[in-house]
Amino acid sequence: MTISKKTFIGLGSVAMMASLTFGAGIAQAQDGQLRGNIRVVIGSTSTGGDTYQNSSIVVDKLAEHLDLNMKVDAVGASSAFRTLDRDSRGNTLMIFHDQSYLGHLYGVQGYSDIFEEYTVGPTVAINPGNAYLVPKNSPYETLDDIIAAAGNGETVRVAIQPGGVSEIGFSALKNAIAIEHPGMEDNLVAVNTGSQADKNQQLFDGQADVINGTVQANEQFTRLPEDDQKAMRFVWLTARQDTIEQAPEEGLGQTSREQLLEYVEPNVHVTMGDDETFTFDKEFFFLYNKDMDPGIVAQIDEALAEIYAEGEIQEVQKNAFFIPNFKPSGEASEYLYEKMSRYEEIIESIK
Amino acid sequence: MEFLSLLDITFFLLAGFGALIGIIFGAIPGMTATMAVAVCLPLTYALGLNHGLALLLGLYVGGISGGMVPAVLLNIPGTPSSITTTFDGYPMAQKGEGEKALRVCVIASLVGGLISAAVLFLFAPLLADFSIKFSYVEKFLIILLALTVIASLSSNMLIGIFSGVIGIWLSLIGDYSISDGGNGKTRLMFDFMEPFLFEGFSLLPVLIGIFGISTILLEAEKGVKSGLTNERVRIGKGVSANFSLSIFKGRLTNLVRSSFIGTFVGMLPGVGGSAASVLAYTQEKNLAKDSSQMGKGAPQGLIASESANNALTGGALIPLLSLGIPGDSTTAVLIGAFTLQGIQVGPLFIPENTETWYVMMTALVFANFVMFFLMFYAIKYIAKVVLVPKHILFPIIVMMCVVGAYAINYGIMFDVWTLLIFGILGYLIQKVGLEVAPLIIGFILGSQAEIYFVKSLESAGTLSIFFTKSPIAGVLWLLILASVMFSLMMSLKSRAKRRQELLG
Amino acid sequence: MESSLSNLLSISIDFGTSHLFFPTIIHWIMAVLFAIILATKLVPFMAAVKRGERALPIVGEPMDGLRFFGTLALLVVYFYLMAVVGDMFPYTGYGFLFVSIPFVFLMSMMYLHEWTKKAVVIVLINAITAPSLAWFILAKLFNITLP
Repeated sequence: MTISKKTFIGLGSVAMMASLTFGAGIAQAQDGQLRGNIRVVIGSTSTGGDTYQNSSIVVDKLAEHLDLNMKVDAVGASSAFRTLDRDSRGNTLMIFHDQSYLGHLYGVQGYSDIFEEYTVGPTVAINPGNAYLVPKNSPYETLDDIIAAAGNGETVRVAIQPGGVSEIGFSALKNAIAIEHPGMEDNLVAVNTGSQADKNQQLFDGQADVINGTVQANEQFTRLPEDDQKAMRFVWLTARQDTIEQAPEEGLGQTSREQLLEYVEPNVHVTMGDDETFTFDKEFFFLYNKDMDPGIVAQIDEALAEIYAEGEIQEVQKNAFFIPNFKPSGEASEYLYEKMSRYEEIIESIK
Repeated sequence: MEFLSLLDITFFLLAGFGALIGIIFGAIPGMTATMAVAVCLPLTYALGLNHGLALLLGLYVGGISGGMVPAVLLNIPGTPSSITTTFDGYPMAQKGEGEKALRVCVIASLVGGLISAAVLFLFAPLLADFSIKFSYVEKFLIILLALTVIASLSSNMLIGIFSGVIGIWLSLIGDYSISDGGNGKTRLMFDFMEPFLFEGFSLLPVLIGIFGISTILLEAEKGVKSGLTNERVRIGKGVSANFSLSIFKGRLTNLVRSSFIGTFVGMLPGVGGSAASVLAYTQEKNLAKDSSQMGKGAPQGLIASESANNALTGGALIPLLSLGIPGDSTTAVLIGAFTLQGIQVGPLFIPENTETWYVMMTALVFANFVMFFLMFYAIKYIAKVVLVPKHILFPIIVMMCVVGAYAINYGIMFDVWTLLIFGILGYLIQKVGLEVAPLIIGFILGSQAEIYFVKSLESAGTLSIFFTKSPIAGVLWLLILASVMFSLMMSLKSRAKRRQELLG
Repeated sequence: MESSLSNLLSISIDFGTSHLFFPTIIHWIMAVLFAIILATKLVPFMAAVKRGERALPIVGEPMDGLRFFGTLALLVVYFYLMAVVGDMFPYTGYGFLFVSIPFVFLMSMMYLHEWTKKAVVIVLINAITAPSLAWFILAKLFNITLP
């Protein structure tokens, strides 16, 4: 009882054809609206990090509001941009933060000009935690001490992750030294390293005098007794004063908002020349495929505006130490472009 | 014992359920513990902290140990850390001792899990302080020590080392990632490959390609002859197949040593899970009285590998809970669970969240026992997988490999093509006479070796740093030397033996 | 003496080109090892092939060409179509589901030596249920992104 090859091939191709025709009908629906399953790719590969956490807060609300199936996938920057490039239907969206243009400004391979290549969507939140820390027993009490020390010819090593958010504060500091103590800026040396663990390790090993960190990851280290090798101290939070002012009053862990405000401008002053103070807020925003229907851009803007008007999402964000920050796409795009231009100047001037 | 009031039936059910789902994820080639935890992370928001943790820790323990099943029965490591389990597990399965091999694995896993949980409970803060003594230099030496297993693992040392170097070379393809502190530039590729290979080949698709797909190609070449996966793979019945605890006689040192190695490697952030079982395997090979059968189906290899990789769980939680730094990729996802609940992890986590800490320990220990009972009694049925005819089994394996490869980085199609590329490569390698195991170990450890090596030199500016950095570095050098000496001796001995056989 | 030793060991790595530092070392090691293998293994082996004592791998061995190349072709078509079909129904996993069913079926049939009615029915049932089950559990229940 064997079956002929012909029947067999026939069966296979029928199954294939059936599957092809069955689906073709679903792909068409009305234009200018999100439809079907939506995938939101993010520029980070970590599902434990701030990008994922923030994105899932926003995407969950959005999915609920629009009654759509939406999902956040942590594919990483390079893959996220590539996935977004390929889909102009609106089934793929992206959420990322300032790294998306800072990577380009620093000339990191794989980053292109987002204002050219993509549509910049609405901003949704700020992570106010970007910080610089020193060991608790460090001779540098304040950021001014560090600027002065470098100005006096002392070498100050700063552990950062190169090419983006972690480096921008370092660049600004270098720029400030160049302005206040011209020619001495090379005394501020970058120790290029990786994750937060690596940066902390550089401090423990005495390979760095200052590290880039975050309030969230390093707050507990600042509460350790001074004789502990791991003890650290904040010297600078790059966020704007009014960003931190929006944080919950109890702050984070046992460090209150009031304490955090000590490390923010105007108490800490990093000059950009012309009386301007450098600040950096890590802002999360949507990125869309350039050719995506403007109807979808408007739809998401509208939905987010309604969600933020309800006020519930702000509570969730604040609980997770994010500062709610909704700007519809037009406004956001202009604002971020301006922000980028400021940082471009800094990076150019210290090259 | 205030925290006891926090434990209820749901808590234990969730931990047990987590272990079960974890085992299933781990047992499917390509699905990992990390994925299981990531997939269930959103659930924890609804469950609340304690119940959420019970579920996630169950998933973690189950996921890591589930990897042994395909490793033993199909020669495909279910998770990267069960790579060394294939070395002895599959040969045993081929001899008809699959069930026995799995039982050895399960017991070793339980012991490893419990030892590491005990170490975590008793010494977490202390060990965290010790772990920060390991800078790039010491971590490089640890990787180097793990790499020395290549020499003793290969049947021909020259070919083996060459294969290992090829593996390292393959791991360097892609960018020198800025997230590791590199300069983000790509190398070892042409421009047109950049869209696909920017981040290089991912580990898991490479593993399942080289083990899973290439095995299928080799079988296809032979015409997929017998109906069964392997007619020699019988379950139970055989005289030697009877499992008894006496296998563990004289293996206690191995068991304990490997568990400690696993815990220790898990503790070092960034060194990663696969290094743990490789290192434990190396040490057993070097230190055991008779390691000549290792790689040909010796239970001692399974004991080393599985106790070490399950000991990872406790180990990786040490830096997470006492430094706020994840010890491996799964614990990195766990951080998400804590932040979702508004809990900070860091050096003060344990003193400030004593109750949560006890809850976690309870869940961890309980999950280990659930894992043990589930696996130990299910093995009889699980092992029957090999009775499924090949023409049914192979397509399903391919299908599941595809799902795993696609899902491991949350949906990247190139990872599926990686399966095919490395499937073919694995086929060619075995045909040409290169060795797969050293190559894959080179691949797993290669990129870490690079970062630790280059970063050490970048900050020190001299090669002497590797010798003068610290007493720990000195100890590691001694271990490396001993390991190299040992494999040289082994190779000379076996060469002499072969010559004698030729003469006799 | 001591200073010359430390000079010998000192190395400075330029960050801009640091991505090539380690690969260069690996290239050298690979080249040296390959040269040794060429001299000690490959040359004697090729000589043995020439004398007809040994056969070349792959080309000199018997193989089931249909099944081997059939497997390769099926895999390529499977992976390719999965992405194509998946793109028609973005992020539903249908690409995986619809393409896996014929793939599992065809591969099973290719490996099945005797096409008895019973065996083919089993193959067919398996080809439909296995992908459906995988799709349902992973894509629906666990919400994992599939092609």
